[in-house]
Amino acid sequence: MGLVEFAAAKTLASSAVFLFITVLLMAAAKRTSTCIMLFGVQCAVITAQILAAAFVYHSREAYVVAAMVFVVKVLAIPYALLGIRKRLNVPGGVSASTTPAQSVYIAAGLILLAFLVVQPYVRALALDGEMLAAATAVLLTGAFLMVSRKKALMQVIGLLVLENGIFLAALTTTFGMPLVIEMGIFFDLLICVLLLGVFVFRIRDTFEHVDVSKLRRLRG
Amino acid sequence: MTFAIDFLQVLILVGTAPLLRGLVGRIKARIQNRRGASVWRPYADLRKLFSKEDLISATASPLFRLSPMILFAATVAAAAFVPTLHGFALLGTAGDFIVLVYLLALARFFLILGAMDGGSSFGGMGASREALVSTLAEAPLLLALVAVSIVAHSTSVAGIVRWSSGQPFFHLSPVHALAFVAFTLVAIAETGRVPIDNPTTHLELTMIHEAMVLEYSGPSLALIEWANAIKLNLMLSLLVAVFMPWGIAPATSLHGLAIALAAYALKMVLLAVLLAVLESSVAKLRMYLVPDFLGVACALSILAVVFTALKR
Amino acid sequence: MTLWLPLLLPLFGALVMLAFKNPRTAVRVALGIGVTEAALLGNCVVKLRAAGVLQEGRYLRGDGLTSFFLINLTLVFALVLAYSVGYLRHVPKGRFSSPRWFYALVFLFLFTMLAVYLSANLGMMWIAIEATTLASALLVGFYNTQGAVEAGWKYLIVCTVGIAFALFGTIALYLAAVRGGVPAEMALDWAVLMDAAPQMSAARELLKLAFVFVAVGYGTKIGFVPMHSWLPDAHAEAPSPISALLSAALLNCALYALLRVEAITSRAIGHGFSHTLLLAFGGLSVLTAAFLMIVQRDLKRLLAYSSIEHMGIVALGVGLGGTLGLYGALLHAFNHSLAKTLLFFTTGNIREAFGTLRMDRIRGMTRALPCTSAVLVAGGLAVAGMPPFGLFVSEFIILTSAFTQARYLVATLILAAISIAFGALLYHCQRMLSGEAKQLSARPKAPISEIAAMCVCGACLLVLGLCIPAAFTAVLRNAMAVLQ
Repeated sequence: MGLVEFAAAKTLASSAVFLFITVLLMAAAKRTSTCIMLFGVQCAVITAQILAAAFVYHSREAYVVAAMVFVVKVLAIPYALLGIRKRLNVPGGVSASTTPAQSVYIAAGLILLAFLVVQPYVRALALDGEMLAAATAVLLTGAFLMVSRKKALMQVIGLLVLENGIFLAALTTTFGMPLVIEMGIFFDLLICVLLLGVFVFRIRDTFEHVDVSKLRRLRG
Repeated sequence: MTFAIDFLQVLILVGTAPLLRGLVGRIKARIQNRRGASVWRPYADLRKLFSKEDLISATASPLFRLSPMILFAATVAAAAFVPTLHGFALLGTAGDFIVLVYLLALARFFLILGAMDGGSSFGGMGASREALVSTLAEAPLLLALVAVSIVAHSTSVAGIVRWSSGQPFFHLSPVHALAFVAFTLVAIAETGRVPIDNPTTHLELTMIHEAMVLEYSGPSLALIEWANAIKLNLMLSLLVAVFMPWGIAPATSLHGLAIALAAYALKMVLLAVLLAVLESSVAKLRMYLVPDFLGVACALSILAVVFTALKR
Repeated sequence: MTLWLPLLLPLFGALVMLAFKNPRTAVRVALGIGVTEAALLGNCVVKLRAAGVLQEGRYLRGDGLTSFFLINLTLVFALVLAYSVGYLRHVPKGRFSSPRWFYALVFLFLFTMLAVYLSANLGMMWIAIEATTLASALLVGFYNTQGAVEAGWKYLIVCTVGIAFALFGTIALYLAAVRGGVPAEMALDWAVLMDAAPQMSAARELLKLAFVFVAVGYGTKIGFVPMHSWLPDAHAEAPSPISALLSAALLNCALYALLRVEAITSRAIGHGFSHTLLLAFGGLSVLTAAFLMIVQRDLKRLLAYSSIEHMGIVALGVGLGGTLGLYGALLHAFNHSLAKTLLFFTTGNIREAFGTLRMDRIRGMTRALPCTSAVLVAGGLAVAGMPPFGLFVSEFIILTSAFTQARYLVATLILAAISIAFGALLYHCQRMLSGEAKQLSARPKAPISEIAAMCVCGACLLVLGLCIPAAFTAVLRNAMAVLQ
């Protein structure tokens, strides 16, 4: 076996493990910049996986998708988020409502839940169970991050992780959708992050803080 | 022949322990833009301490004198469980990883007793902190090793290493990945490195291990310091042997052993560099955050055990 | 070109708007672009009526359903444009609150909604719906007050999460199609999927999963309970013409997307599952919204909950199914958009006069603002489902459908919810209209554009309530034929 084929096969086999690790580390992270960099790492793992799949299945479109994922999600979005975080300059870390240990326990529970939930579909559709479970785990962790972190920027990161999970589920089951649609989705995501960034600054300017748990003026 | 190699393994672990410590210290000094002490400095320290006399407090019991010896003996015995060059260890068939963990616990137990026996308040403080850290670190350590042993179908450390070295190159399973992370976190706690405990601190209120040995001097102190170095060497060698066993000699041939020795040396140097970088880049955790740190390790090791059942 | 031109003109217009710094020039240019756009859309509808189905390229398509909703969008947009001309005098001047930004964002918003209506491809439709959220977020936060920023944030986060779930559902649908034998490049094209739907019937579980996620996802944008938490905030904090656009146009947009997907799943695995789910969402929405309307303190939030309630009735109509149910649902969506537009226009005037929209601080409206009060009463009656306004007709049709299918629980639900909502509206309006008027700031008469907009709105509602024109019925029938 050539080295490249070997590397591709190994990447496909072990990317689920790396995704689980990023999920757990993200749950345990105490600083926003750590979370952003872990998101970048997660997207890098996804890029590697797409490249490996593109090589193994000889699909040209997949190379373009991998390039898009790399440019948009590994470089552009984390760079933008880190810039926003630096300009916001709000102290206090991640403002989690659970300690890192509790978060890791919850994330571990979510991973097990993900395995449980995908069982019927794996059997029915004859898919790779571990990868689909990893996608669901990423989705659930994104939702957990959105719910348990009080900083506005962390909600954005949770949203991005959730979308990552959905994108990964699409990859596992269908090897990607038509190219134009994928490009449209990425473009949407980029604009969404930019808008959310604008809003985070507006929250900071009008409320003097970025704690979303205190955004409770409108109720009922 | 095998016996000779096993004995050599123990000698390497015990003998190169101060060298590893010196190497880590030197790299840290370089990172901090100093020249740092020579890597052979810990040997000189040990020789100096062995040539001095023991000063014992009047209120101390015989336990104070015995503790360092029991500590050293237990640690060396634990080192005899860990294979480094080939898939067999000196005490490989005499017990499994649980005995290994409890030998380390025995050593720590006597260290704590000795610290409290000295009568100084810092000794008591260090002893209570060490007890907290070790209680919390024991579960993840055992669970991580349990997870790995379930996958390897063997409870002896040597058996686990033999299984690991037989696996295809770069095979990554979730069980091993999670157990690796959990074991690393626990190793940091067990050996008393940053971010749990700073081994080079001189502020007593931030000490855990150092506070326990404040009263010791002379050969007793030498034994304790050496045992601490052996423990660091042991944990890192265990990490290397179980999770990164590439290079371990499959058969007892001179050629294989030479490769195994070179691979072992390379991996230990690499780990020493990584440890030094880690110690220089993170801050020491405050004491009330340490249970959280170990809680993360515990969660990861529990997940590793659960994954052994999932990965059918 | 019939479909491309009306789609691209608002995009082009949005970019052009940014060049005009002078407010009056900006308003005039916006009006010009708006009128051209309305004309192009009218042309589009006429051509669609003649041709039945128009397909341009791989991604643009129009059929009966499209033309129905395009009529709706054109009408609402024209009215909002007319109203906003007068309204913008009162927007506080800020760096980003000038008319050119307002109209640029409105045209961008229009572009995204047209993209939803005109897309042939489910993936494009998803992208366009996500784009509507992004385009309208800045409009919701237009005033940049604490409430507006919080509402905009909530809107962005909740809707993006919801639409991400809809993406998951779309992907599951794509997967079912590919496994059913449809070639991969065409497996997101709606017409292709409708033809191939019987082939997909083997993947029952997958299609059910897909529909659940799409219903939850697009339902978030429609405002189904329990995904509705963004709706009252967004509709209350946005400027009045934008609230009208959101309530009247955007909810229908999301409804259109849901209807398209529901058509595919119904054809593949039958009505049972999708209709049950829609009935559940509809029932939950009507009840929750009706009860919450009683305890509201802000006028626009009251209207927002009324929107949720009416969207619930539409969902119940679609869930009941059959010719009557679907006809009633589509007609109700149309009527509701007109009524809501009318009501949101009045809130603009009320806020101007009283300085607040808190209903407990508004007293004696009949004496202070007689015309606006009349319109408010008319709109309130319309939204409560009273004859001679259009909503009465559509609600009656839906109820008839419920009774003919012997679904008495659903009928009871609708009647109860309508009654509670009527009671709430009556209570709140009566408190606002009667009593002593407090000292009001002297204000000039409402500009002719606002009055004209409101009158046209009311007239349409009356026409639809008294006698629906035959042409309109024909369009409605075409729309239903597409879905069945």
